[in-house]
Amino acid sequence: MSELALSAKNISKYFYVPQTFQVLKEISFDVKKGEFLSLIGKSGSGKSTLLYILSTLDTDYEGELIINNNNLRGKSQNQLAKFRNAHIGFVFQFHYLLPEFTALDNVMLPALKLGIKSKEEIEAKAYESLELLGLKDQAMKHTNRLSGGQQQRVAISRALINDPTIIMGDEPTGNLDSKNTSIVFDIFHQLAKERGQTVIAVTHDDDFANNSDRVLELHDGRLLSDKYREQK
Amino acid sequence: MSKQLLSITNVKIAFAHISSRIKQTIVAVLSVTFGISMYIFMNGFMSGVNQTQSDLAFSTLANIRIYHDLPEDRTNILQRTEGEEVITHIRNAKVIQYTEGIKNAEKYIHILNQTPQVEVVAPEVNINVFFRNGSLKINGILNGIDPEQEDAVFHTADYLYSGSWNEIKHRSDGIVLGKGLARKLSLNLNDKVIVSTAEGVTKHFTIIGITETTLASVDNTQAYVRISTARQMLSENMSYVTDLQANISDYNQAAVLAQQLNRSIPYKVESWQEANGQLMAANTLRNIIAVAVSLTILLVAGFGIYNIMNMTVNEKIREIAILKAMGFDGKDIVQIFLTQSVIIGIIGGLIGLLLGYGISVLVDHVPFKIATLENLPMTYYSMDYVLAFFFGLITTFIAGYLPSKKASKVDPVDIIRG
Repeated sequence: MSELALSAKNISKYFYVPQTFQVLKEISFDVKKGEFLSLIGKSGSGKSTLLYILSTLDTDYEGELIINNNNLRGKSQNQLAKFRNAHIGFVFQFHYLLPEFTALDNVMLPALKLGIKSKEEIEAKAYESLELLGLKDQAMKHTNRLSGGQQQRVAISRALINDPTIIMGDEPTGNLDSKNTSIVFDIFHQLAKERGQTVIAVTHDDDFANNSDRVLELHDGRLLSDKYREQK
Repeated sequence: MSKQLLSITNVKIAFAHISSRIKQTIVAVLSVTFGISMYIFMNGFMSGVNQTQSDLAFSTLANIRIYHDLPEDRTNILQRTEGEEVITHIRNAKVIQYTEGIKNAEKYIHILNQTPQVEVVAPEVNINVFFRNGSLKINGILNGIDPEQEDAVFHTADYLYSGSWNEIKHRSDGIVLGKGLARKLSLNLNDKVIVSTAEGVTKHFTIIGITETTLASVDNTQAYVRISTARQMLSENMSYVTDLQANISDYNQAAVLAQQLNRSIPYKVESWQEANGQLMAANTLRNIIAVAVSLTILLVAGFGIYNIMNMTVNEKIREIAILKAMGFDGKDIVQIFLTQSVIIGIIGGLIGLLLGYGISVLVDHVPFKIATLENLPMTYYSMDYVLAFFFGLITTFIAGYLPSKKASKVDPVDIIRG
């Protein structure tokens, strides 16, 4: 479990509008495989900005980003899209499911895009993923007929379909009640512990953060603290 | 395999988009349908009009006419032989024409028949004559013709008002008169008419037919008799003709062919374009109008699709963002949205072909009783249908491509972060 999942080196980012402003100031840290990491900080501290850089969606930064021994500096948008498809799963505050599709279809999409497995295998895998989140019986429902908590869990199933190295969450429990929050939290924990998948989540929720393995706190674009929770 | 699955996925998303916004889709489909059906209708109608116009014109005008033209102006003939120091003065110069008409016509008929583009040749002996009935005297043109060949070139039999056309062949005293001419002479079928030539030869004929082309210039002046009878009246031999009228396979090639024939035939070879430039110009102008109007309609339809696709892209921008975050690249996004507009184009196009045909048939049945017409003219060329569908697809493709390109450039960070 000591292998590195992600390594950030001297990451800086500037906003130019309305005036030049440095959002991130030379942030460096490593994340091991199987780690469950929370990014916290006040609003405007740059934590979301950092997450989008780590997730390769934002390419306008200085410094180096290495995920799974791949240096992602200077890759083209299409190369990065391919990379995200295979290595990164996303969970956002809002679920962003395709409303015209069933839960199952939504979950299958990234795997169909990846195109390594046959359709049957992907379908089996999608059922497995939905089952993990307790949604197997909702598979054939259109996603706009599901409750908010269910939708978010479908979104997590979708993030898991390609067995990504890293799962990125942007306030993944931001819109959920405490019951669903704890379900989602438990799933993340399970993924990190049992499957060795890395979870990086931006959160406002102190309970969520305090229960994760490691908490990074950002303040004014700098890394303020980097705490590991004592293993019990 | 991965390539194929990928495109199936994109097509599936495209279908989901189309079916989720059924109203917009219908509007988009209808705009294509309308554009394509108008294209078909406009072109069908215009070429129908052209066809009618040409048919009417070619009822008196052959594709190619060969005749003995009058010699050029020779009033100053002596100036060529004398130098400048000699003053010549010619008073009251006359042109003496030694030969009239085409001598030894068989040779030229043979040349024409050997030319592959020439479909039919009709020899004619045309004489300016007076038609007389009692004290009534009207001048006109007596056409000595072979009824079968004349009909093959001019479809004269189609314009027969009463009587029989082919009987000319069997009756040396039979004559077919234009309707206006018969009326002016107060004559009917089976009446007698006296025809006299400028040389004073007079002959009695029995009216065996009356034609009506609705062209006053023809109906009021023309009469038809057997070609041998006309030769007889001019005291000419059996190979004498004044005109050779020929129709060719593609009448648009007449001018080119006339030029070629001019090399081997020592008489004037005149194409219909030369004889009647207005007809050519009118046909071309009508075609330009048809294409301009229908392409404009297609263009408007294109704007409609562009608008709707743009709306779709804006509506689905979050979905696009999440698809990109999940690893769909710009090419996939273009595929998704282009597929939608192409589907719209194909559905709209197919309906448009049917609707265009329907409108054409409908208009074809609208009564229009002017001249020889019964209904509005219409043509059904398959090429028009193919082109309409082709232009429709091109339009939707371009109209769909621009918004797709925009969609593919969406930055997911901007959208997801809000």
